[in-house]
Amino acid sequence: MSMNAEYRTTACSQYEAALEDQLHGDLGGSEAAELAKHLKTCSGCRAALDEAVLSARLLRIAEPTADPGPGFSHMVMARIRAELHLHEGRSIWQPFVSLAWRFAATAAVALVVLVSFDIGRHSQLQQDQSLLVTNRLPELIPDQSSVPTSSDDVLLMMAETNHGK
Amino acid sequence: MAASASAISLPVSRREKGEEERQLVRLAQSGEEAAFEELIRRHQQRVFGLVSGILRRREDVEDVVQQVFLKVFVSLKRFDQRAAFSTWLYKISVNECWDYLRKKKVRPLVYEADLSEEQVSRLDGVVSADRPPQSPMDRAEARDLLERMMEKLPQQDRELLILKEVEGFSVQELAEILELNVNTVKVRLFRARARLMEVYRRRLKASPDQPPEARKRKDQ
Repeated sequence: MSMNAEYRTTACSQYEAALEDQLHGDLGGSEAAELAKHLKTCSGCRAALDEAVLSARLLRIAEPTADPGPGFSHMVMARIRAELHLHEGRSIWQPFVSLAWRFAATAAVALVVLVSFDIGRHSQLQQDQSLLVTNRLPELIPDQSSVPTSSDDVLLMMAETNHGK
Repeated sequence: MAASASAISLPVSRREKGEEERQLVRLAQSGEEAAFEELIRRHQQRVFGLVSGILRRREDVEDVVQQVFLKVFVSLKRFDQRAAFSTWLYKISVNECWDYLRKKKVRPLVYEADLSEEQVSRLDGVVSADRPPQSPMDRAEARDLLERMMEKLPQQDRELLILKEVEGFSVQELAEILELNVNTVKVRLFRARARLMEVYRRRLKASPDQPPEARKRKDQ
């Protein structure tokens, strides 16, 4: 007799399948004779078989699942038809819908790129203009030292200019 | 003479039944909806039994069974009839149940409260007398007690015991559905019984108020 530690059954492991058959009366011929001979000498297998018989009694309390009735197959068929209809509806429009989504996505990306490019270009232009203004400032604003303060200075400047020519 | 005639006629009728089913499958494969509906009618109870044996949740069973038949309908054209239609159908059912449990991350039902002494002794009375309780209330209670004990078992043990002992699947069928060796199914079933009885005995030990027979067995 060997003890199965995992399941704490007292049955010999090599006889477990035969004991299960014996429980349902499925064992015949030489196998039945061999098991009967073994059971005479093995109290562990005898005890395990008794326990298995009790388990079968215990399980008899439970009731099998009831037939769902004839309405069930109609219900399933209705669901199948609905799913098929939905699938067919999808199959007609699906390519167009996915194509439209692709176009929309591409357009959105292109718009984002264009707007960001425009914003970048605009800010660059503004930067350039402000630089230009800063660089031309000395030309536009005359030097304070060269501004005439009196009519004599004006005459002197005119004389200098003419003399230069 | 009559006995030998019936012995000959039985396999023939089974063969005829099998051929009839193959014909139904062929018709359903060619798009005949009535043939598929007939296949559903023929197998719905067993698929219900199988699914409810695994899920144990009445509210989910119908949904999953519908889903099973929907999947079968969609993939029926790929079914080559090398195996029996029922075996293929039951395999799809088992896979659908496992998918469902995985997706939903369903945890097994846990009964926090243990059985009372009175309940244990009543259950022991049922087992020792080998007759189911007579009144519907007692039957419902006994089923509830058994359900609680079954929940203490590993899922695989529970499934095997329910499918075999309650839903009436044969060892051969279980082996095909679960893709196991026939001998392995027998051994697992036998061990699952031992495990169930272990849970049962633990409850008897926990209860000091027991009928004499239970006490006698406990002392052995």
